[in-house]
Parts: sequence; C-alpha cells; structure tokens
Amino acid sequence: MLNEERVILMTHMASYESGEGKQNVKIGNYFRGDYIAVSVLKSVISATVAFLLIFALYLFYNFEDFMQDLYKIDLVTYGKNVLICYGITVAGYGILTYIVSTCRYAKARRSLRLYYQNLKKLNSMYSQQ
Amino acid sequence: MTELLEMREKIKLIYGRLEFFILPLAKFLLAFIVLLTLNSRLGYMGQIDNIALVLIAALMCSFLPTGCIVAFGAAFSVLHMYALSLEAALVGLCVYLVMFLLFFRFSPKDSLVVVLTPLLFYLHLPYVVPIAVGLLCGPASMVSVGCGVIVHYLLNAVADHSAALNMMEDEDAIQKIRLLIDSLVKNREMVVVTAAFVITVLVVYLIRRLSVDHAWTIAMVAGAMINIMVLLIGDLIYDINISVLSTLLGSLVAVAVAKVIEFFRFCVDYNRSEKVQFEDDEYYYYVKAVPKMTVAMSTKTVKKINVRHARGAAQGRGTETGRQRAGAQSRRAGADRRVTTERTVSGRGRYGGRRDAAYGDRRAGRSVTIGSASQDDAFEDIFEDPDDQDLI
Repeated sequence: MLNEERVILMTHMASYESGEGKQNVKIGNYFRGDYIAVSVLKSVISATVAFLLIFALYLFYNFEDFMQDLYKIDLVTYGKNVLICYGITVAGYGILTYIVSTCRYAKARRSLRLYYQNLKKLNSMYSQQ
Repeated sequence: MTELLEMREKIKLIYGRLEFFILPLAKFLLAFIVLLTLNSRLGYMGQIDNIALVLIAALMCSFLPTGCIVAFGAAFSVLHMYALSLEAALVGLCVYLVMFLLFFRFSPKDSLVVVLTPLLFYLHLPYVVPIAVGLLCGPASMVSVGCGVIVHYLLNAVADHSAALNMMEDEDAIQKIRLLIDSLVKNREMVVVTAAFVITVLVVYLIRRLSVDHAWTIAMVAGAMINIMVLLIGDLIYDINISVLSTLLGSLVAVAVAKVIEFFRFCVDYNRSEKVQFEDDEYYYYVKAVPKMTVAMSTKTVKKINVRHARGAAQGRGTETGRQRAGAQSRRAGADRRVTTERTVSGRGRYGGRRDAAYGDRRAGRSVTIGSASQDDAFEDIFEDPDDQDLI
C-alpha cells in the first residue's frame, strides 16, 4: 500500500535533486578547502586571460604613443607596473572568489544537511514498514 | 480581484500542464526577437541577416539551455561587427570575453538579463530591467544588469560610428579601435545609466526583503524614484541630456510591469497577516505569517449517463447482466441525459478569507447540475445506485 507521507517526501527530494540540489551535490562532493582552492584557481586563470585581453586593448589604444616613447620609457619599470596591476587584479578577483565560494559552500552544506536528514527519514520509513 | 486570481490560477494550471511545450516556445520566441532585433539594429552581414537563418538559430535555442540565447546573440553581433570592420569585431569580442570570464562565472543563471537589457532598451522600456531584476533575482544580478547596459551601449557605439568606420582605410586600424573604445569608456551616459541601474537593483532587492507590509510595492516605487534621482543627478553633473519626461513615463511603465510581476510572484493578503510569538528551550520566535491570495479553482467534468442504463440499473441493481441489458436498450432508444458535476479543489485558502456564499458552496464540494430532455422517476435511481454515489 502507498504511504502518502513517504511519497510526498520522495517527491520533494526528487524535485530538489533535479533542481537546486544538482549543483549543491556537486559542491558537496568536495572538501571545503578543495572546493575553494579549485574556485580560486579557476578565477586566477579567468582573471589572467581577462587581464591579457584588456591589456592588449590598452596597447592597441595607445599603440602610437607607446611606439613613440618605446626608447624613452624604462621598460623594466613599465613591466613592473604592469605586473603590479596584474597582481592587484588577480588578487582582488581571487579574494572575491574566495568570499563567494566560501558562502556558496556553506549554503550548499546547509541545504545538503537537510537533504540527508530527509534521506534518513525516508530510510527509517522503509525500515518501519 | 477574485476574477484576476482565478485567471492567474488558470494560467498556472495551463502552464503546469503545457510546460513541456510553453518553455521551448518561449525560448524560441525570445531568441527569435533578440536575433531579429540585432539584425535590424546592426545588419552589416547579409549572410546572417536572413530570416531563415534566424529561425534555425531560434529553433536551436528552443531546445538548448537558456545560456545559448546569449551565446547566439553574442555570435550574431560579433559577426555583424566583423562585416563592418575587423577592429570592431575585435573590440566586441574582447568585451564579451571579459564579461564571460569575470562576471558570468558568479551568476550564470542571470545571463538572460544581459540579453533582455539591450532588447528592452531597443523597445524603449529600459527601466523595467532594474526593478524586475531587483524583485525577482538576488543582489549578484546587478552585475548582469550592468553588463547588459554595457552591451547596449557597445551596440549603439558600433551602429553610431558605422559610417565613420566604413570611411576609414584599412591602415587606420588603431584609429578604429580608439574610436570604439573612446565611445565606450568616455561615454558618460553609459556610466550614469549603469550606476543608476545597479543602485536600483540593490535598493529594490533590499526593500522587498524587509518584513514590512507591502514591501514589494514600496520596493518598486522606491526603486523607480531612486532610478530617476540618480539619472537626474548624473544629468546635472555630466550634462548627458536625459529626457525627464521619457524617464518619468518609462518609470511609470516599469512600476506597472512590476505590479504584474508581483501579482504572479508575490500575491499576499496583508489584511490576514498574523504575528505569533512562541519559544522553545533555546530561542524566542517572533513570526509574521502572511497568507497568499489564492482561490479554489473549479474544474468541470461532464458525464453522460443513459436513461435506459439508469432504468436498467435500477431494475437489475446489483447484477451485471441487468446493467448490460440496460445499456443495450439505451443504445437502441437513443435518448440520453446529461449530468454535469462541478468539482472544486478542496483544502485551499481563499482570497480575503470571506465566506462568500458562492465560493463557500464551491469549496464545500461539488455542485451538481442536471440537464435532461424529460423528467422521469428513473433518474432518481441514478443517485440511489451505490455505484454512482460519487456523483453527489
């Protein structure tokens, strides 16, 4: 015979698994440190590519001035300045990613904890039967 | 209001039933409109400015994930820019890539906003975006709104400078890039509008989350006012020639659209809100519960019951052969009765909590309407037949 409460619980859980839960289960498979490290690493790569694109556009924009002053400017200082800008961009973006991924991980764990509680409840319903 | 609520329930019911078809259709329509708008706005590449190609792309978007509409939109615009000049395509591609790499990683679900924002700008309804996003999405969506505004001004810059870009020689590649970057970076209007939209999203989001009555209405009105205020202040500082009248009218339209969104998303009855307080071992709880406005939906089932069948059933009650015989007789006679049972979904709240007589009846169970060509005694037998008890 159908247990109505069990069917409702299973429906809720299936709905969670196919929607929001899918992402949370993926996050939950990682340890906290691993998840944050992977996110920050991805961000560093993204920020590097984005910085290169913006820098390339900047060079194109100032191409004439740059070529005129090429022999006047101190290339080492220029390179240092570029690297500092790159460092600031990557560090800023990395810190932002760290904060966001920490919050996301905590939220996903909370949500998964509830999901696992429901799973236990479902298991106990089956054992009672 | 009750009629509106009934209509909403019907729409929800229809959507629930036909979601499998409605969702791809909506995606198809959105992709079709977006691509068609892009073609009419830019339209430099003749090969993709083709209705058949737009239809194929829109059809592909209808069964692919929503993010593909953004990808197709970006691809179409970059191809148009490429047809205009390689440098324009380069700048466009860089802008899209930077957005993708830095911003969409955090809120990939809101990427649709990036498509909708330029579209609504094109339809002269830009102020709907920040208010609607503030009501429906989270604070991270302000990034998507900002990106959408930048995309709109990028497309505008390309369209505005198309003649100049065409006239320039191939050797002026650097000049072309400078022209486009200048029209983006030094565009004060873009900065002001982006700031106004971002602040509006944040304000609307913060207010609608407050635990005050009519929070959504307050949020949308406050958002519209903040939006106007920031735009006017920006106009005063940078002299960007924002039309006050169009801003006011646009904001009014935005509030009207936001009210429609509220009706479908957050329709609650503050008159029946309850404040309760209780405690357990560890906490005191101060809870405010606001009931949703809902009406019971009526569903009709029409059941045709044959006269002869009923009479036969009455005569041969309890025997299968009697029913079969009655059915056969009824087919010969060809006379029939119609019993309409009207059912309501029970156990649901009602709008306003008033015990309206009509709704009370409907909610209580089922009303039975009986239509017949002739009245005869056999009809009552239908209701007495134990097999047909569920009709009453």
